[in-house]
Amino acid sequence: METYLHEKHIALKAKMVNFAGWDMPVQYTSIIEEHKNVRENVGVFDVSHMGEIFVIGKDAEEFLNKIVPQDISKLTEGKAVYCQMTNHKGGIIDDLIVYKLKDTTYLVICNASRVSEDINWMSLNQRGYNINLDNQSHNLSLIAVQGPKAIDLLHKLGYSADQESFTIIESNLLNIPMYISRTGYTGEDGFELLVINEYVEYLWDKILDAGKEFNIKPAGLGARDTLRLEASMPLYGNELDENTTPVEAGLSWSIPDDKFSNYNGKTIILQQLENGVEKKLVGLKMLDKSVARHGYDIYFNGEKAGCVTSGGVSLMLNANIALAYVKNVKEICTGSVVQVMIREKLHDAEIVKLPFIPKRNKVIRRK
Amino acid sequence: MSITEKILCSKTHEYLLEENNEYFIGLTDYAIEQLGDIVFVEMPDTGTEFKKGETFATIESVKAASEIYMPVSGKIVEINENVVNSPEILNEDCYEKGWLVKIEKTSDDSELADLLEYEDYKEEIE
Repeated sequence: METYLHEKHIALKAKMVNFAGWDMPVQYTSIIEEHKNVRENVGVFDVSHMGEIFVIGKDAEEFLNKIVPQDISKLTEGKAVYCQMTNHKGGIIDDLIVYKLKDTTYLVICNASRVSEDINWMSLNQRGYNINLDNQSHNLSLIAVQGPKAIDLLHKLGYSADQESFTIIESNLLNIPMYISRTGYTGEDGFELLVINEYVEYLWDKILDAGKEFNIKPAGLGARDTLRLEASMPLYGNELDENTTPVEAGLSWSIPDDKFSNYNGKTIILQQLENGVEKKLVGLKMLDKSVARHGYDIYFNGEKAGCVTSGGVSLMLNANIALAYVKNVKEICTGSVVQVMIREKLHDAEIVKLPFIPKRNKVIRRK
Repeated sequence: MSITEKILCSKTHEYLLEENNEYFIGLTDYAIEQLGDIVFVEMPDTGTEFKKGETFATIESVKAASEIYMPVSGKIVEINENVVNSPEILNEDCYEKGWLVKIEKTSDDSELADLLEYEDYKEEIE
């Protein structure tokens, strides 16, 4: 599949890769350059492969409360929240951002690789709720504008709203009907602009044009991955899957313990919150120049103690970093040195506090 | 004579360069372009012998790890310390400055038969 910006990427000579069935730009010039530019200036990403599902109807809030541990009742109009959709065992079917557009209308943005599983699971859970599921993933395009200068760039395009982090507004920026949310997947301040496919090329051009004075650069999925890793945000398929609960994934902050209504997996999740879990997600900093990668084993005191889920380079820390699941024992904690098996050799890594880099977005929303 | 006229390339994108009876192994510019930003090179110990086709080094780019194979059988006599210290040299110049190892060939020239001249290699990969 191709996004409506495919031709733009080809014209920019992007290196293209298959991602979840989409032919997507992995890099335009260099992942390092694109990464740094998002941290220092502003980058623009085509993330039109992401899924957009509207949940509409008088039971929309109740339905969403059934499928995620997060408390959707606390969302007010225009607010958004990060959450996970869980199965009956508390395993993560997908991680989502849920936006409350109106009392009876919610927008769910989900992973491209999981749209069909999500729709399937939502449909299975739909019975008894007065709602409609409207999968608009193929009709909508999404552009992420990320970095400390994203706000200046939007102002230049005529944006004048005063949005907090994790909010969404309807806008007519550049006379294009769109939703603008102050969210992202880079750890920087930034915005995501959601438009119908037909307007996205025009919007992309306008953003790149207006962004010149802010040193804007298009950024690909490669930089998106190194940025999210450095910001310690999980990636579905790496840190998250159907056999991992949000508690194990270090996402307990997104599970209110006072949520009244029942949700899929609630019993197990509450038990885990109370009694603890077998594995925990930790951050690693490699103590040499080697790079840990997804799937590499971790050893502690000569015994296998876990597995790397994502690994790579942190340009801000000037070190190689990784996210990993390790046994949840008190000996393995911040400051411990573990070993990562890389091509049959053990390399030392220190467990460090997450996030790897301090939060850089303006408004922190943590529960 | 430009450097690409002097090298022989494997289909797995390593090159072999002979200069004054010394043999250098590196990665072609095409391979480097595909790998993107290179951040780490894991080199073999000098003195180690490898057969043609064996993995002798690993290159880590921002994206992934890639194994590098011997284009001919040989013994490692020198590794390029500049590349070890500054792997980004490979992105700038993979031939003059960015060779990986110097070897002593341990087989006769018959192993060279399936290596390609640069122009033919280019045609092969396009």
